[in-house]
Amino acid sequence: MGERLDLLDPYEVAQLGGIELTAGGIVEGFLAGLHRSPFRGFSVEFTEHRPYQPGDELRYLDWRVYARADRLAIKQFEAETNLRAMLVLDASASMAWSGALRRLTKLQYGQRLAAALGLVLLRQRDATGLIAFAEDVQAMVPARVRSLQRWALLKALTALEPGRSTAAADALRRVTDLLQRRGLVIFISDLLFDQDLALRALQFLRHRGHQVLVFHLMDPAELELEGPPEVRFEDPESGQTVVVRPREFRTAYREAVRRSVTAWRGACRRSGISYLHVRTDTPFGHVLRRAAERRARLG
Amino acid sequence: MEFLQPLALFGLAAATVPALLHLLQRRQPPTVVFPAVRYLVDAEERHSRKLRLRNLLLLLLRTALIAAIAFAASRPVVPTAFGDAHAPSAVAVVLDHSLSSGAVVNGEPRIDRLRRAAHAIGREAGAGDRLWLLGADGTPHQLTGGEWTAAVDALAPVARRLDLGAAVRTAAAVVGSQSLPGAVVVLSDLQATALGDAAQVDVPVVLLDAGSGPGNRGVGAVRVEPETWTPGGVVVVNVGGDDTSAVEVRLDLDGRALGRGMAGAGGSVALPVEGVGPGWHAARVELMPDELRADDGMAVALHGSRPAAASAVGGGPFVDAALAVLTATGRVRPGRAVVLGDRPEAGCTIVLPPADPARIGVVNQALAARGVPVRFGARESGEWTLASDLFPLGAAAVRRRYRLDGDAAVLATVGDIPWMVRAGDVVVIASRLEEDWTELPLRPEFVPFLDALINRVGAGEVWRVVAVPSEPLRLPGSARRLLLPGGALAVTAGVPVEAPIDPGIYFVTDAASDTVGVLVVRADPRESDLRTAAPGVTRASLGGARLVDAEPALTRAAFSGRRAELTTALLVAALLLAVVELMLASVGGARVRS
Repeated sequence: MGERLDLLDPYEVAQLGGIELTAGGIVEGFLAGLHRSPFRGFSVEFTEHRPYQPGDELRYLDWRVYARADRLAIKQFEAETNLRAMLVLDASASMAWSGALRRLTKLQYGQRLAAALGLVLLRQRDATGLIAFAEDVQAMVPARVRSLQRWALLKALTALEPGRSTAAADALRRVTDLLQRRGLVIFISDLLFDQDLALRALQFLRHRGHQVLVFHLMDPAELELEGPPEVRFEDPESGQTVVVRPREFRTAYREAVRRSVTAWRGACRRSGISYLHVRTDTPFGHVLRRAAERRARLG
Repeated sequence: MEFLQPLALFGLAAATVPALLHLLQRRQPPTVVFPAVRYLVDAEERHSRKLRLRNLLLLLLRTALIAAIAFAASRPVVPTAFGDAHAPSAVAVVLDHSLSSGAVVNGEPRIDRLRRAAHAIGREAGAGDRLWLLGADGTPHQLTGGEWTAAVDALAPVARRLDLGAAVRTAAAVVGSQSLPGAVVVLSDLQATALGDAAQVDVPVVLLDAGSGPGNRGVGAVRVEPETWTPGGVVVVNVGGDDTSAVEVRLDLDGRALGRGMAGAGGSVALPVEGVGPGWHAARVELMPDELRADDGMAVALHGSRPAAASAVGGGPFVDAALAVLTATGRVRPGRAVVLGDRPEAGCTIVLPPADPARIGVVNQALAARGVPVRFGARESGEWTLASDLFPLGAAAVRRRYRLDGDAAVLATVGDIPWMVRAGDVVVIASRLEEDWTELPLRPEFVPFLDALINRVGAGEVWRVVAVPSEPLRLPGSARRLLLPGGALAVTAGVPVEAPIDPGIYFVTDAASDTVGVLVVRADPRESDLRTAAPGVTRASLGGARLVDAEPALTRAAFSGRRAELTTALLVAALLLAVVELMLASVGGARVRS
């Protein structure tokens, strides 16, 4: 693989192989562009040297090596393993939808994003786990830092099937019950359920001392209303239908989406929750980079 | 509303297309799985009312747009007061070019203004219109637009009167017989004397207000007394019109003034004339010129003759005395050309009843022997008054008379009963000319009466027929030819002829080509009175006519089906609808792109 998978179109990346094959490539590509640990812990520990490359921060130059061996070497650090990260992936029916043939469903995108995040966290030696839920918790991988944890995560993600509907209240209650020890909660969902309910759950996690990072996935087709002159739109979860003329409703719909996103962003900010709005055609590397930046701001 | 292209109205069915498309599109919308329905629900809750209103507006706009185009294609026309076009109309124009139309008003003959108005009607007329022109003869002539101008220009003032009421009735009948809407237009000086009987018509009548006319005097009537002058007489001139100020009245013959007098409208003047030679003479009465020249003169026929040779046999003392006076004054010559007595004589004779009633049968036998169809009947007594249009009898009383049986021309009457009749060259009088029978011999009219009677009978049959231009008339039986400027017109006994259009004197000859009388054609004296009736009276008399004072209003009213074609307005409306529709439809689109 000569190209950086983290910068490719997600659909093209998925064509290259399964999650277990491509997640590593995405993470490698992502990390290759970074100069430091993306998800630093509360303390750092030296791990190894690597040759200096133009652009590296000079403060990480090991002057002793330079004095001794007359070569420039960069000290590399990794976060400590005291971070417990839990990937919470929404696998409801609404996630199993794509607005175009050559585009990943939100669930497929979320699976790959969760896998990449998990690998990054595991490489930092953070205990990383996974909870997937639909109408109930579908998969649960406890947070570990052991060497086989990577495969446990990838296996659980690969085996994930979309649910038939969302019983958001019960599922979220169950998820919060599972997250007893405080740490980093990465919530990946299209957030197509009751906002108050979801916010209460996330605020509850925040209240318990979790750092929460929300990835709000949206298919580009959910941002712009398209379709025939008149169409009956059906919600795959609730079965609710609405007959509209997309051309006439386009503006109002876009306004409704914008309002919803703004509401989510504002509510999260007020609750100290990091919020990222992610289109499912965005390369994974970009999303990881934004997540790393947001994480860095959280400290 | 009418439609010039009514088939295009079928295009209105296309106006239902937007609504049908709307319904068809709503019927089977495809179902699409879409997880973000909650956003749609939210958007619909917020915008559905606005969108529904916008959609309804768009539907209405599109429907109205198609309907406007379909209507425009059908070329609708509506009645309006301001349109450029009018519906095909039937218009009958009564152009009163009677004698009074020649009056000069404000320096212009009134006929010129009437012609201008008629030309305006002709210019307004289109190919689909039907036009009639009624002149002073009252006969409608249907004309094309091309013929109109020449026909109007050809109408010059003529010496005849137009009965406007009759003309309006005729014109209305013509217009009413058409299937088109229409009107009768009256172009006249609207003389009060021209209104005639009120016209009740079913079509609109429009009048051009020509304004009031000038004061005028005209020769109303001329009377020659006696019929035959031996050698003198009196010409009595009645002045007509409405200007009562006196002007000079002159009688001219061969360029020589025979008499002069002064009179105003409504007055009369008697012009005594002496020394007129035997035969017929064409004289002329002239007034001082005024704004209407056509009625300031009138031809008059004078007939002169030598005094008759007369004698009396058994006529009584009053007759003998009067005849002596007439002979002494040269009014009558001694002789027996005319014999006045109590029995019929050879030649011209004036028969009185015999003083002895026993001889009445002999007299009747003698009348029968001469072929006279008149007999003395029963003798009657009473109190009657003499009356005659031919002789100066002075309303003398009659106390005794014979009834005159038989058929003859009546010269005088008593209480509508013949008192003096004529059959050929025999005159029969029902009373003796004595004081016991009638007071006539005691009256000053007696001698002039006897003068006129003897000279009239002695001169033979002479007559004057007075007529107005184009009047149908019957000439006396002896007439054979009417001498017109263009040649003689043969006259058949009992067959009416039409009086010439031009006023004047036209001599009439008998079978021997001797002149036996004249036809005097005079303008109708009512034409001299230029006063107009009150507008209300005029309107009521002419079928509730509408009075307008200018050509534009006249033409608008004439073509009552005036209308405007709405095609342009509808196309403009369609364009505006399209612009509004585009704006309304693109408002949403612009938001989508923003």
